[in-house]
Amino acid sequence: MTTAALAPVRTPAAPILSRHLLDGWRGQLGWSLGIAAVIGMYLPLFPSLQSPELSKLIDSLPAELVNALGFDQIASGAGYTQATFFGLLGFVLAVIASISWGAAFIAGTEETGRLELTLAHAVGRAQYALESAAALIVKMLALGAVAFLLILTLNTPVELGLSATNLLAVTLAWAGLGLLSGTAALAVGAATGRRSWAIGAGAGVAVLGYGLDAVGGTGEDLTWLANLSPYHWAFGNAPLADGFDWGGLGLLWGLSAALIAIAVWALSRRDILG
Amino acid sequence: MTAVIEARGLQKKYGKHLAVDGIGLRVEQGSVFGLIGPNGAGKTTTLRMLVDIIRPTAGELKVLGSVPRRSGIALRRRIGYLPGELKLAERIQGGTLLRHLAQISGPVEPGRIETLAERLGLDLSRPVRALSKGNRQKLGLIQAFMHRPELLILDEPTSGLDPLVQREFLAMVREAREAGQSVLLSSHILTEIQHTADDVAVLAGGKIIAHGDVSSLRLSSVTRLRAVLADTTAETVRTALSASPTLQDIDAEATSTGELVRLSATIRGDVDHVVKALAQFTVRDLTVEEPDLEESILDLYARTNGTK
Repeated sequence: MTTAALAPVRTPAAPILSRHLLDGWRGQLGWSLGIAAVIGMYLPLFPSLQSPELSKLIDSLPAELVNALGFDQIASGAGYTQATFFGLLGFVLAVIASISWGAAFIAGTEETGRLELTLAHAVGRAQYALESAAALIVKMLALGAVAFLLILTLNTPVELGLSATNLLAVTLAWAGLGLLSGTAALAVGAATGRRSWAIGAGAGVAVLGYGLDAVGGTGEDLTWLANLSPYHWAFGNAPLADGFDWGGLGLLWGLSAALIAIAVWALSRRDILG
Repeated sequence: MTAVIEARGLQKKYGKHLAVDGIGLRVEQGSVFGLIGPNGAGKTTTLRMLVDIIRPTAGELKVLGSVPRRSGIALRRRIGYLPGELKLAERIQGGTLLRHLAQISGPVEPGRIETLAERLGLDLSRPVRALSKGNRQKLGLIQAFMHRPELLILDEPTSGLDPLVQREFLAMVREAREAGQSVLLSSHILTEIQHTADDVAVLAGGKIIAHGDVSSLRLSSVTRLRAVLADTTAETVRTALSASPTLQDIDAEATSTGELVRLSATIRGDVDHVVKALAQFTVRDLTVEEPDLEESILDLYARTNGTK
């Protein structure tokens, strides 16, 4: 009891947020490396692809496929970066990372019993859901920072000719698009406590978004479908070429905020499952 | 005396299934209260309602003077809770998890976690997911005790612990009581808690079927006895033991060599008679099993219904 006079263990301002970030550093590093690998693999190829042969090859492909993959813009640095990274593999990586975190923070910890242990201590339900959402946002923004800085570094050497402002615009749209799937997983996890349902919801948002955008791009009378697609909100107005699309960003981040509110509400009102 | 836990007509429904069917509980401050009952009796559901992990369907509930649903984190800071099943699968070290939990519990003195870990014999540097069930249980006990809460709510605290650690745990419970803390613990094994608990409630099928101090409950433990006796015959053993009022289902048989007598029987109630009756023989081997709580409760049912 001689130590009783010493200060007790320090309580950080956001214990759940910091725990999520500290526990998940390996995953964060892994996803960052994955993003770096995709960027490092595709972007340096840009100068060698500016050839008449490639243009001919793309012309020979069906127009719908070229549109869906964004290859119609591939001759510009912005179009190429969009088509190879943000719109394709980068999109897949961001969405999977975000869903896995969104599903793990509430539903995952609930299934392992960690949530029961945590909530029996001095942590409120709303606080837990909010700090989990904050952790998800921080982790997505960190992935965004990795992508932004790497692409900016490659910009001059591989002659992409990107504007830093537009790169920031598309990075925020990309992170917001991933975040939307992640918050969908978080909200469904908070409502059901089931990790598989949470993953399903997040994946559903991503696949539906991509599908609606692809189908919506195939004809004039189908554009209304694309307007329902989060993928289209993020990239429809080509932020990497044309700069900030505030409407699209507002929809992505606003809807994520609404899903976070649902997560808080859902977790606060139900029983925690064992 | 003041009550640290007061429940009236407490009920929890899952769909149409009544997990807890209108129970009343009163745990006095500074006492150790045992909630016993077979698996599925509603013990875990009851304890979870006390810490607001699940919410009652109906009834009144007060813990440390306030309603768990409404009092939030200030109340839980004063409680130490051990969940019924710890299936943690974290990659982080046990010590890291405990330090994190210390950040969100009541204040923990420096060195307290290490002291408790040493006492229970837990290596804090091992990853949580590599721990055996018993070691995970120790982790759970440490996080419940570490902030010296006013009220300890422990769901099956001894499960998975070896006998030596069980003894250490029971010593920790007694020390907590001496320090003025109140303890509510559950078990499906009566003997584990009957020497520690001041009061006991027996829960079966979501209802409290008996309640009082341990001796007044007359929860005769139903125990299996096995013994190997030498220098006697099966007939002698049968005659000698059939006089004992607490022994039933006596089965005595000579072994194949004929030198020993193998005895098995059921003890219903006090074990004292049995030991004294056995003392006249040469006892080569003696096993008295843990009493089966379910049988004891059935026995209690039979007796209470018979006397009424």
